[in-house]
Amino acid sequence: MPDLLESADPGRRSSTLASSVVNGPLSVKEEVSTDGGQATTDEAVLYFENVSKWYGPVIGVNQVTLELRPGITGLVGANGAGKSTLLRLAAGQLRPDLGSVQVCGREAASAAAKHRLGYCPELDIFYEEMSGRRFVETMARLQGFSASAARCRTEQTLELVGMADRANRRIAGYSKGMRQRIKLAQALIHDPPLLILDEPLSGIDPIGRRESIELFLKLAEAGKCLLVSSHELEELEKLTDHVAIMAYGRIAAVGPLVRIRDLLDNHPLSILVASDQNRKLAMALLDLEEVVGVEIEGDDRLKVLARQPRRFFQKLADLVLEEHVELRHLETLDDSTHAILGYLLGAGK
Amino acid sequence: MTPTTSLKREPAAQAAPSAFRAWVYLIRLSIQRQARAHMMIWIALGLLAFTLFIVALNTQAGRWSMSYWRYPRRVGPTFEQHMLVLENAAALPWSPGGGEVYAAITASFRSYLEHASGFFVFSTWIVFGLFTTFLMPLWSLSFATEALGREREARNLLWVLTRPLSRPAIYLAKYLSILPWCLLLNVGGFALLCLAGGTPGRRAFVVYWPAILWGTLAFCALFHLMSAVLRRPAMVALLYSFFLETIMGNLPGYSKRLSISFYTRCLMFDRAHDFGMRPERPWIYLPVSGPTAYLYLAGFTAACLLVGIIVFSRREYLESAVA
Amino acid sequence: MSSSLLHYREWQGQYHRPIWAVLPICRGALAMLLRRRLFWALYAFGLLLFLMFFFGTVLLDWLESQVPAAPVQVGNFKTDPDRIVKLVRQGLRVLNGSQDTFAVFFTYQGTMVMVMLALTGAVLVGNDFTHRSLAFYLAKPMSRWHYIAGKCLAVGVVVNLLTTVPAVLLFFQHASGDINYLTDPDFFRDGSGRGPAGLPLLAGILGFGLVLTVFLSILLVAAASWLRRTMPLIMLWSTLFLFFRLLAAILVDGLRYDPRWRLIDLWNDLCLVGFTFLGFEEGAMPLPLPQPQMFEAAIVLGGLCLSCLTYLSLRTRAVEVVR
Repeated sequence: MPDLLESADPGRRSSTLASSVVNGPLSVKEEVSTDGGQATTDEAVLYFENVSKWYGPVIGVNQVTLELRPGITGLVGANGAGKSTLLRLAAGQLRPDLGSVQVCGREAASAAAKHRLGYCPELDIFYEEMSGRRFVETMARLQGFSASAARCRTEQTLELVGMADRANRRIAGYSKGMRQRIKLAQALIHDPPLLILDEPLSGIDPIGRRESIELFLKLAEAGKCLLVSSHELEELEKLTDHVAIMAYGRIAAVGPLVRIRDLLDNHPLSILVASDQNRKLAMALLDLEEVVGVEIEGDDRLKVLARQPRRFFQKLADLVLEEHVELRHLETLDDSTHAILGYLLGAGK
Repeated sequence: MTPTTSLKREPAAQAAPSAFRAWVYLIRLSIQRQARAHMMIWIALGLLAFTLFIVALNTQAGRWSMSYWRYPRRVGPTFEQHMLVLENAAALPWSPGGGEVYAAITASFRSYLEHASGFFVFSTWIVFGLFTTFLMPLWSLSFATEALGREREARNLLWVLTRPLSRPAIYLAKYLSILPWCLLLNVGGFALLCLAGGTPGRRAFVVYWPAILWGTLAFCALFHLMSAVLRRPAMVALLYSFFLETIMGNLPGYSKRLSISFYTRCLMFDRAHDFGMRPERPWIYLPVSGPTAYLYLAGFTAACLLVGIIVFSRREYLESAVA
Repeated sequence: MSSSLLHYREWQGQYHRPIWAVLPICRGALAMLLRRRLFWALYAFGLLLFLMFFFGTVLLDWLESQVPAAPVQVGNFKTDPDRIVKLVRQGLRVLNGSQDTFAVFFTYQGTMVMVMLALTGAVLVGNDFTHRSLAFYLAKPMSRWHYIAGKCLAVGVVVNLLTTVPAVLLFFQHASGDINYLTDPDFFRDGSGRGPAGLPLLAGILGFGLVLTVFLSILLVAAASWLRRTMPLIMLWSTLFLFFRLLAAILVDGLRYDPRWRLIDLWNDLCLVGFTFLGFEEGAMPLPLPQPQMFEAAIVLGGLCLSCLTYLSLRTRAVEVVR
């Protein structure tokens, strides 16, 4: 992709950010920069203050407090974890039932905030009869630009997303990847400081993914704040090491992945185990250094308290095979930690 | 943080955005997008063409008069035949004064039958019976519920909602965008029908067009409000137009005063009073005066728009978000 | 992961013949419709007329049971309560359970059936085209005619829920009051009503329901597969059942054209044919006079059915049906 980006601070890397969260099992309050630098701006680009959102009796987002500054933040979570709700709240498409969401100090639902954010929704619906070029230009006009400015911006943005040569075809005939690029172009058309990207890499072929990731990195280098959602941690790891993990409507963990993994290793996890030889299994488990306690619950269950869950689960599997124990039940009792673990172990995909 | 710091934009692209320009463009875009509803437009035009054809045929055949009416009803001779009998009776040996009076009476009957009755027949059947009962509500509801309803159904309302336009501005822009279509069909279509109706038609247009205009504005405001509130506004609008309006319109007492058609008709009766047009049973119909009807229709339009703005501003359109 | 771990095993039973696919298609279509609140709201509106008939009859019976046997004298005024009841019954003879009761019931249900079918068509058939779910049906081992038959059956159920089922309930309400009503076809020989009673009347009601079911389901499925979207379907449907009704009334009653012009009013045609099932003789039907012949109406309905079936046949052969 041609380099049209002008970095506000070329020396700063994309993962420079500051973030804080006050809820979840792995609460972190930090200001981190992977290159050792500090965040350069004091003003939060996106700020969630104790936000809750209900859909009738179902809670979509539960008491989330989150502050984002320039750089890329990945948002991961299983389907139904609340990622899209959080992004729609940030984009002003939903209003919080409790708390407030601010974009550059403005209420997210206000017109002023929409000048400062670009939203790339997951929804794959356009004005299908239009060409890609016409669609992006239409969005520019609706942004309030004059006809000539809109045309000019459209050309530049289409070039930026690599669609300049294919944008005259009707959107209805586009591949998924082309549609994603057009969605991205409309979000970039007014150069917003905040980009909210809901599953922007889904459906794109590997080459397209690489190009998109490069573009996101450049945008972050240029000082923009990107909030990118995905349900694939692997994908996000290529983009940033700073993630927020959502589970059951809450931010279960936020910060650099390395820190989250460390915290998780030191966080004792409660696991319920049932087997045909509980006492024998309990004795064997106590020999494992990761296990800090075993409690026999009734006749048929064990409650195991273990650190470093990844290593624990590996050893448990070996143990079961060696001791010829038939495992009948295995359940992580801490839902949020389980969700994080699922992601970190790759099971959350 | 300013929005234009990261992309190298050419000078032409750096003009500041304007909310008003965006709003005007939204109106233009919405009008253009209404034109995408080909099938709907073709059906509307087909209906107009068919009605025009029927009206023109009747004009050609000279049916806009009471000449074809029969007395006694259905079985007796036509009014024209009665007239011929009356005119033939003029040949009888009348006394000098009596003959002239008789001739004057016959001539006035003939004049009414040939010239004035056309307006009554055209108004009763085409204007009241067909246009205000069916065509005006249908054309209004089809375009007014589609401005927001079509985008909600297609789930692309999101693109407008993510732009820096306030919700009231979007709602008003959508209302303004349906007016050209509805006015073109309702007032323009009515003008064409009246033109095709010959002399009585032309007179009807002069008398009734303000009522059609105000009725259209009120219907559009109501149906536009429905499309902001309901997921399937067309069904409810249909139910309202052809079921509730009919029931309310036929109920004795004041309940009919909740209906838009009632005020539109009152306005029509008021303006056509000099031509002898009045409700069939005024003591049951209880019509209101012209100014009251104007006031009601204008107030109703404004109230619907206000409520619509409030609803649209507060509502979350989840269908735009559900993938 | 091997298939055994998924506990996958092949279907061991016998496959039904494709004709059985009609039932799940119908069931699925109805489930889609019945879960909508709007359907139930419209259905509740549709039942208003039934409730009026039902409780009207109950009130009449109650009134009869309350009057004393002996004449009542108030001052100099002496009256026979039986005479009063007879007068009331004469005035409300539409509630007497004769062919007139059911004729009026079916006629008045026309508007609600029209509104309900506009919704039904959009949901049951239009959605399959709009959301491109037709391919899921056609991927199964059945022909397109089975799909059409399934949808027609679902439409038929809706039509009958609004017309035949309430009518049959009314029939049995009357039968529960007097068993002779059910067993004696000459129940109304005393002049309290006209036409047959008992099983011939019940057969007439079912016959009328069958005519409505066959014609409306074929017409609706054809219209919905042509227009697909809700609004054009509403426009076409209301044109067929409201516009043409108004136009027919204008042409025949207003402009005194030939009564055959009433043939463009499809609900009138359905009533002409259906009333024959109820035992009416031509000219004695509770419809505005003059009317065309019953066989002419039958030809119009049959012709339209054939045209729709031809269209559906061509449509299902087209490639775009699986778009």
